[in-house]
Amino acid sequence: MTDIIVNGMSFALPLFIIAVGGIFSERSGVTNLALEGFLGAGAFIGALFVVLTSGWFSPGSQVPMYLAMVFAMIGGALYAVIHAVLCIKFKANQVISGVVVNILAIALTDFLTSQVNAGIFGQSSDKFVMTVSGRLTFQPLANIPVIGGFFTNVYPFEFIIIIVAMISWYVMYRSRFGLRLRACGDNPYAVDAAGCNVGRLQFAAVMISGALSGLGGMCFAYSVFGNYSVSIYTGYGYLAIAAMIFGNWKIPFTLGACLLFGFARAAGYWLIQLMGLPGAYSDLIMTLPYVLTLLLLIFFSKNNRAPRALGEIYDKGKR
Amino acid sequence: MKRQTNGSRPVKLFLAVMGDEKRQNISIPLFAICLSLIAGALLMVLLGKNPVDGYRSLLQGCGMLMKEKYAGGKGMLTDFMSYLDIWTPMIFASLAVAVAYKAGLFNIGVSGQMLLGGFIASVTVGYSDLPGIVAKPLVILVCVVAGALAGSLIGLLKYKFNINEVVSAIMLNYIFQYVISFFILTFFVNPITRQSESVGENARLTLQNVEIGGMKTVVPLGFVLALGAVAVTHYFIHHTRTGFELKAVGANPKAAVYAGINVKKNIMLAMALSGALSGLAGATYYLGYLSSIQPKTLVSTGFDAIAVCLLGNSNPVGILAASFLITIITKGGMYMNSSIGVPQEVSSLITGLMLLFAACGVYIRARLARAADRQKQEEKSMASAEDGSAPGQQAAEQTRQEEVQR
Repeated sequence: MTDIIVNGMSFALPLFIIAVGGIFSERSGVTNLALEGFLGAGAFIGALFVVLTSGWFSPGSQVPMYLAMVFAMIGGALYAVIHAVLCIKFKANQVISGVVVNILAIALTDFLTSQVNAGIFGQSSDKFVMTVSGRLTFQPLANIPVIGGFFTNVYPFEFIIIIVAMISWYVMYRSRFGLRLRACGDNPYAVDAAGCNVGRLQFAAVMISGALSGLGGMCFAYSVFGNYSVSIYTGYGYLAIAAMIFGNWKIPFTLGACLLFGFARAAGYWLIQLMGLPGAYSDLIMTLPYVLTLLLLIFFSKNNRAPRALGEIYDKGKR
Repeated sequence: MKRQTNGSRPVKLFLAVMGDEKRQNISIPLFAICLSLIAGALLMVLLGKNPVDGYRSLLQGCGMLMKEKYAGGKGMLTDFMSYLDIWTPMIFASLAVAVAYKAGLFNIGVSGQMLLGGFIASVTVGYSDLPGIVAKPLVILVCVVAGALAGSLIGLLKYKFNINEVVSAIMLNYIFQYVISFFILTFFVNPITRQSESVGENARLTLQNVEIGGMKTVVPLGFVLALGAVAVTHYFIHHTRTGFELKAVGANPKAAVYAGINVKKNIMLAMALSGALSGLAGATYYLGYLSSIQPKTLVSTGFDAIAVCLLGNSNPVGILAASFLITIITKGGMYMNSSIGVPQEVSSLITGLMLLFAACGVYIRARLARAADRQKQEEKSMASAEDGSAPGQQAAEQTRQEEVQR
């Protein structure tokens, strides 16, 4: 039981923050299939920072990890500019732009990773080796049955994610910026009439989306992979999109969806281990989140309401 | 006056080159290609390589230019035929994206549909010992049916449950990928290669080790089929009533409803056709170019196909040209790496940039239209100024009066 909670949480939370990134972009009316590219590009910048500065910190220090997360957010936000420019300034088809941004991210980071490795470290390798993040256990709390699992072997980044998610929630639902942002997704013309710059709002939303995805990607690099390589593009970005849609483009529901994915996955792995099934069965477990999403979408799609102006290219002169 | 004309000469020239709106269908993608090739050349210079050598080696790797030396029994034809072999699935996959796109749908599940078709055909026909003349058409049939079913499932989810086709296609991609990987690893795995067992030569759509003029080469039978598919798709989209309905649904679903077009039927039809074409891509990929399936991986062909479709303006003939080019870059990249040591990532980067510039097409088009307008106005005002400056002054007078009235 504890294992399921530990593994479930450490998978669900990074996924959640990526999905929150998606919510920011989509609630502002910009379709975002580029989460996959954002998280990879962000994690690349973070990992690049780690390997470049590896001499600066004493071994075993956790400081580079936190700095890497900051850099991953910056990197993700900067990379997101491509999507923002394509969608908002160049008025390209947002779905196509998302796909292009993903393809470009894979090509670009793959190329740069091997170039940096060859140029600076003189070795031919396609990955940046990093440590796996340390884990914390809170002793008195961890002994509580069942709930104790939430306090055992916790990655430090889980707290960062929770804090960032809370800030995001506040910005989205309690600030003027958030109100306008959500209005952009439903009726950009009204926002324009109210005297706001729709393009600028959407631009900011897409960049926030990139920053949060970068953070999520960095967390995956520090937990699931333990290094940075192209293998980070395993589709977690798309899974986050599924969680977002399943969560009806709302932050609290999306958290629920991510927890469901995480726990379903962890429970599946646990079950396989318990029954001593061969490794191939884990492939079936991997399909769980996707099958769940599809089924639940079929049942709940009536209640599902995408932002009304999602994917529409905002044209001031149209109306 | 004279200086003004001088200043706008590059603009004028550019406008003349890009042509009118019809010509821009071709000239904008070409512009994107040129930009990305220039960017690629710069990249090679930065890496300390000669870009001319680089691009030459791309063509050499695809059998379009002579290499300096060949291994015994191999030649330019060998390379060219194996280029055709990998080009074939790309054509099918891009057509699949295009047909869906014409109906306003985005089929991002081409790779998954390819895999499904390829897997079912491998298991049912590939491991049987039917004679080749029966097995090969059967492979194609199985793949088409499997792909079409997978495609129409996405269509069904779209119109019945209002699930965005992109999301359901992505979900199905993963489901196919993992479920098929499970079956392969459990029942059909080759313990040495860790891939699925090879299908028999009888079922393979690419003939291996055929001797032509003393050179051993592959013969991709699917290529002929692909050319046929281009022609048929072109005819279907541009010259049939159903194709017209499909385009109408894609251009404006609401208007299509008013015109009495059955939107649901057309969504299903487009996705089924798209899936069938993906199935063909799967057949020529998994039972032609390759003979086995690697578990847990989706081929990038289905995603690159989106790029090709974009570059080719989702026009079948354009797609033929665009896929020709993109395949040269991806396939030639291997030889470019082995011959002059340019990393293979450079070729995928060039493809990525090409996409990026192609995605800017709408913007470029809008800017061109605006520039052309301005040009026309300038010419008009200039002409009127030469006429004796009366009309120009009149117009200015008029606007001033209007402003005063406001």
